[in-house]
Amino acid sequence: MKVKLRLWAIALAICCFTTLQAQENTITGTVTDQAGVPLPGVNILVDGTTTGTQTDFDGNYAISAAQGQVLVFTYIGQRTQRVTVGAQNTINVQMQEDAQALDEVVVVGFGTQIKRKVTDNIAKIEADEIGGIATPSFQGALIGKAPGVQITQTNGKLDGGLNITIRGLSSVTASQQPLFVIDGIEMNNNNISSTTAPTNPLLALNPNDIASIDILKDASAAAIFGAKGTNGVVLITTKRGKQGKSSISLDVSTSYGEPSNTRDWLNAADYITLLEEAEANSGFLNSIGLTVDGLLQGFAGDQDFRNVDTDWQEFAFQDSYIQDVNLSVSGGNEKTKSFISGGYTDNEGIVRGNALQRYSVRANIDHKVNDWLNLGLNSSYSSTIIDRIANDNSFLTPMQAIAQIPTSPAFLSNGDINGNTLYANFLLQDRFSFRTTKQRRLLGKVFAEIKLLEKLRLQTELGYDYLNQTVDRNTGRLAPFQSTNGQTFASDDGAEIISTNNYLTYDTTFGEASNFTFVLGSNFTRFKNRTTSVTGDGFPTDDFKSVASAALISAGDGTFTNWAQLSYFARVTYDYAGKYLFKASIRRDGSSRFGAENQFGYFPAASAGWIISEEDFLSGSGTLSYLKLRGSWGINGNTPIANFGSLGLFGGASYNGESALEFTQGANPDLKWEETEQINFGLDFGFLNNRISGEIDYYKKKTKDLLFNTRVPFEALLPSHRVLQNVGNLENEGFEFSLNTTNIQTQNLSWKTNLNFAINKNKITNLPNGEDLITTRNILREGEPINSFYLIEYAGVDPANGDALYVLNTENPDGTLDKSTTNDPTAAERIVAGNPNPDVIAGLSSNFNYKGLDFSFTFQGQWGGQRYNNAGSFQETGLGNGLDNQDQIIFDRRWQNPGDITDVPQARLFVNNGHSESTRYMQDADFIRLRNVAIGYSLPQEVLERIGMSRIRIYVSGLNLLTFTDYRGYDPESSDDASISNTNSGTTFYSAPQARVYTLGLNLGF
Amino acid sequence: MKYIKILIISVLLTGLVSCEKELDLQPQQSISIDAATATPENVNAILLEAYDIGRNTSPDNVAPLYFGLYSGQINIAIDLLGNTDQVSWNGTFSNLRDLFNKALINDNLSALNFYADSYAMIGHVNTVLANLDKFEDTSEQNRVEGEAKFLRGLIYFDMVRVFGQQYNPGGNNSQLGVPIVLLPPDVSRAVPRDTVEDVYAQVISDLTDAASLLPASNGARADRYAALAVLARVYLQQSNFAAARDAANEVLQDSGHTLTATYAEAFDTDDNPIETIFSWVVTVQEGTNESNTHYATQALGGRGGDIAVTQTYLDKFDTPTDQRRNFTYPGEGVSDGFTLTSKFARQFANATHIRIAEMHLIRAESNFRLGTSVGLPPLDEINALRARSSAPPLAALTLDLILNERELELAFEGFTLHDYKRTQRDIGGLSWDDNRLVFPIPQSARDRNPLLEQNPGYN
Repeated sequence: MKVKLRLWAIALAICCFTTLQAQENTITGTVTDQAGVPLPGVNILVDGTTTGTQTDFDGNYAISAAQGQVLVFTYIGQRTQRVTVGAQNTINVQMQEDAQALDEVVVVGFGTQIKRKVTDNIAKIEADEIGGIATPSFQGALIGKAPGVQITQTNGKLDGGLNITIRGLSSVTASQQPLFVIDGIEMNNNNISSTTAPTNPLLALNPNDIASIDILKDASAAAIFGAKGTNGVVLITTKRGKQGKSSISLDVSTSYGEPSNTRDWLNAADYITLLEEAEANSGFLNSIGLTVDGLLQGFAGDQDFRNVDTDWQEFAFQDSYIQDVNLSVSGGNEKTKSFISGGYTDNEGIVRGNALQRYSVRANIDHKVNDWLNLGLNSSYSSTIIDRIANDNSFLTPMQAIAQIPTSPAFLSNGDINGNTLYANFLLQDRFSFRTTKQRRLLGKVFAEIKLLEKLRLQTELGYDYLNQTVDRNTGRLAPFQSTNGQTFASDDGAEIISTNNYLTYDTTFGEASNFTFVLGSNFTRFKNRTTSVTGDGFPTDDFKSVASAALISAGDGTFTNWAQLSYFARVTYDYAGKYLFKASIRRDGSSRFGAENQFGYFPAASAGWIISEEDFLSGSGTLSYLKLRGSWGINGNTPIANFGSLGLFGGASYNGESALEFTQGANPDLKWEETEQINFGLDFGFLNNRISGEIDYYKKKTKDLLFNTRVPFEALLPSHRVLQNVGNLENEGFEFSLNTTNIQTQNLSWKTNLNFAINKNKITNLPNGEDLITTRNILREGEPINSFYLIEYAGVDPANGDALYVLNTENPDGTLDKSTTNDPTAAERIVAGNPNPDVIAGLSSNFNYKGLDFSFTFQGQWGGQRYNNAGSFQETGLGNGLDNQDQIIFDRRWQNPGDITDVPQARLFVNNGHSESTRYMQDADFIRLRNVAIGYSLPQEVLERIGMSRIRIYVSGLNLLTFTDYRGYDPESSDDASISNTNSGTTFYSAPQARVYTLGLNLGF
Repeated sequence: MKYIKILIISVLLTGLVSCEKELDLQPQQSISIDAATATPENVNAILLEAYDIGRNTSPDNVAPLYFGLYSGQINIAIDLLGNTDQVSWNGTFSNLRDLFNKALINDNLSALNFYADSYAMIGHVNTVLANLDKFEDTSEQNRVEGEAKFLRGLIYFDMVRVFGQQYNPGGNNSQLGVPIVLLPPDVSRAVPRDTVEDVYAQVISDLTDAASLLPASNGARADRYAALAVLARVYLQQSNFAAARDAANEVLQDSGHTLTATYAEAFDTDDNPIETIFSWVVTVQEGTNESNTHYATQALGGRGGDIAVTQTYLDKFDTPTDQRRNFTYPGEGVSDGFTLTSKFARQFANATHIRIAEMHLIRAESNFRLGTSVGLPPLDEINALRARSSAPPLAALTLDLILNERELELAFEGFTLHDYKRTQRDIGGLSWDDNRLVFPIPQSARDRNPLLEQNPGYN
């Protein structure tokens, strides 16, 4: 090491000496922009030295340099120019607009392509756009960044599942999620939650390791992924080492979080008033010999209920603290380059008992063996430890505490937890139980790039993704619903993907201007999943928590499943004169999930583009700098989720200790993929040297052969009364618009804005036998959007008597609907009343830079969707459906006297006056949210050089700081994690809001 | 160098070609339909699954979903719909609350699950009956056929009683029951409802066959006397008192089942007491005792005491020392201040389907109505039953006293609705034949099969 340093020192000395020897002249000149206007503030540096200057207000400069030296002209937004000093002492430079945004490289699957020449719709998100956002998952950082990509976290639990919807929902029963591919290898995105509440399997990925994310949105882009491309493809590229001086970066941040919203529940006084009034109106308690006071005292433990006023919501939430540390080292020489990183995050959630910790390490190595062989290795390991809480539909989830009676104390006078609450007191669960989930994930890939001929390369890669999850759940004897002396559940779930890609790339140029790329290859992917679990009951004391100490092993399970997919693909890309662009591809997929009659599928695609601005008739235009027209067509597939969905099956069961055979699945040998045909027309434009640029796209996706677990008559006697079939069609049609503007661009100040919005219209066009498919209150009906809400229509309150009214909506003889009202909910017919999918999603991001200061923000917005509060029939009932504490509006707006005009019916204890499921509990979920905002200050370069650092930036940022909405629930995005599924969506049920997080952070570079 | 490159390509190509067979994967936790019906052992295992479904509550919504029909849910539904004053409902399940309030909606979950699970059981039973030729041993074949028919008869009997109007002893039972399906699963099947008359005929045919095919003793599974006991129940519901009496009498005479020494002993065990003629097995590992779920406190494994016993019920006893009256315990938590029955205090107890006390009550009532004394004079029989629970003997019998005795003895075991209907007594102001006391044909069943006609009073 010492020797090396010394050598460096000598080399450096020689360089300086040489410089000194040369003859120096003063070089002068003027720097102008593309239009010939002088540019002030252009940086000019003599390459390899510290000599530098700037242009003045008139664009003039003067600098000392010797003949043969290189002057480097840099200016934000302009291409860096390098000019070698010759005999002349005047050097005038015309800067060129940096078209980097258009020349950037996008990842397309089995290769890369220059964005300028791309004929498909691909959204690219760079690392700097997702850095510093205090969300444990990388998906959360993408919100609002790409047009037509809707990202929704199930609810405010840290481990909550995330839904990414690209260009509307294209499936009902198969996956609605995009395919995730990391560095060319398919990534397991299966939810392996041990409860009904989904978790996010991609939590294992450290967002700081990501260099870029490319989202393939149209069919032509995704078609190279064949039978898994329907929902789009998310290509994640991790950071790699660069040749040159090693750079070390250290990022630390600490955050505080709180619920982004709380709600108003009745206090004790209002609750008692309402209860007394409800009892007076129904006489229920009197009829069974009880009184209001007697009833309430029963829930008050050893305290006098009159002196108790518990805010249960306070107990459900907790202050959240987050620590985040990331260290990475990147560098390399001509032969070997590496990127090495380590990360640690410690998150306490906003819901009591919820926490997450993640440790992660990564090493990406590239090695050039010789002039025809490059080898590389990607490897990452992470360990994520999650303290989970019960799902939303459980008395034990903290959020259900808001249903407790406010005159019920949380604790008894001796400090013990009050066990005599209306519903099980979750604090007992919080104190006497735990559910710890640990996910360990190994992601790795070895690859070789072999130059077979000058223009022919072979890429061969072997990828491995191992996701192991263990769950340890213990319920102590004092926890609610625990009848045995403690119970412990332990499980182990291991899922692995082994995947190999081999593909040839032939790159050639012929004639003057023809570029031709041909890719031919294959992929084989094998997935295996093995699970075991055991439950033990009865422990000597609560101190024992391992299964080994259980008196009785009460349950156990073990399963193994797998699938395999074999694919061949080919792609040809051709461009002529840099302005006429063509692409075509085909993929053949075979899958073990397809039925015997349909083992293989073919997925073709084609696209073309015309860069009009390259044509002579436009190339002179001063305002229009870039214009490209493109069109694409392709067919994508969506593989069935069930590994053996085509087979008629009996599974193992037992009765009285004897083996039983349970009919579990009806057969369908014709089972195959769902097929989506999509066309896309796009226009890319740039004005004023691309200071204004953007893309407009129109698409239409037609999906057929939708997979349905078709409901068959109960009398058909099939398992679950269903069979999986390819029936049904749906359509998505929409526009996407994205606009990037450089509003201000001077030496010290820059301000850039990105606005994107997307409109999607979804319509079910064909269902099995044309029949409605109803899941609880979501309906699939021909001509209506997927998962529309199907409810009876609430019509408010009869001013005369306080009865809740519903619109009959029965069909008249002439086919119209009877719009008269009734107070009998069973007499009213359901109608399609709304749907959970937004019509419009939008994002607005902006970045300001002034000297060392940076300021950025992202707004996201959604319009046109509804949410159904399934807990409304407990929370907003006037105590008609139990003693649950009520929303403040029930007290404030209740009908009390004849003539009252309101929408809240008279309170009647244990009488259904308006609490049937109806549109009363459905609300518009439009919102605009300030998703993230950050202000940072970076120390100037001079200061950094003095202390030998390359970067010091301090920042404060906020997540979900503001939400503008008329939605009355906790969060217009939160969903019931106990029931959420492809066909049961848009419902909330005691679902936690997302966190509002304040972060203080430091980025250091060495 | 060139050769190395050629070698690399050759190796990769060879690897690719050999991959296609890798797509032929088989499940590890399942077997095909053909394999499942290939051997007598497997057919027997399919039969056991029909029992399994009856007492199973699916954990964590794993499909296929079951509901614990015969481990409590049917009995709870019958007692909630059949009672107004003997029990109170304190729970949150709206399907059960609506039953208690006699205000069923056409997608009531209890009705839906009752319908769906019944046909899931029948699917397994009919598969068994279609594969009896796999048995070579005739006695084994008879046993399996007998059990399958026992289950099918029992299921259709329970369905016809709730989805159709009460059987009219005078005949002409053209009111609609449920569709009779006797063949194995068939994805294209859609059939209309059969009449109550036809369903009862099928029930009696199946149970009569079962009684003749089944052995006198058959472990935890149905035997000849289980079939006869259910037949006695069927005949009583039809007011065919002679047949009911004779079937009950044979069970009492020959089955070997007797009353336990005390009332509590009939319930306070996880296994079958001598009194139990047939039960659905529940163990720590298998099944869920749904009666425990809704009747017991959290400490005993229930939800806290959703259903409580009222003072009105306790007041029906003529003596405060009657063991049956005192077979209760105070509620806590949700049921604080309420009285709960001790019948379902054991979380992992088998779910009793039919016990010998009921046979005594059927024989006594039938003898009384017919003026006969087959087996035992009715007064002696009732007093013997009362004596077991330390209730003083009655001096004389009336029909009302016998019916009251049924309520004292069999409360919360799923009898009220059926007893009130067959004896044409009002339930909480509703006439015995009120449409609201009949389940709706579930909306979901009608969505799937448009041939199904809805019951009067529902849309």
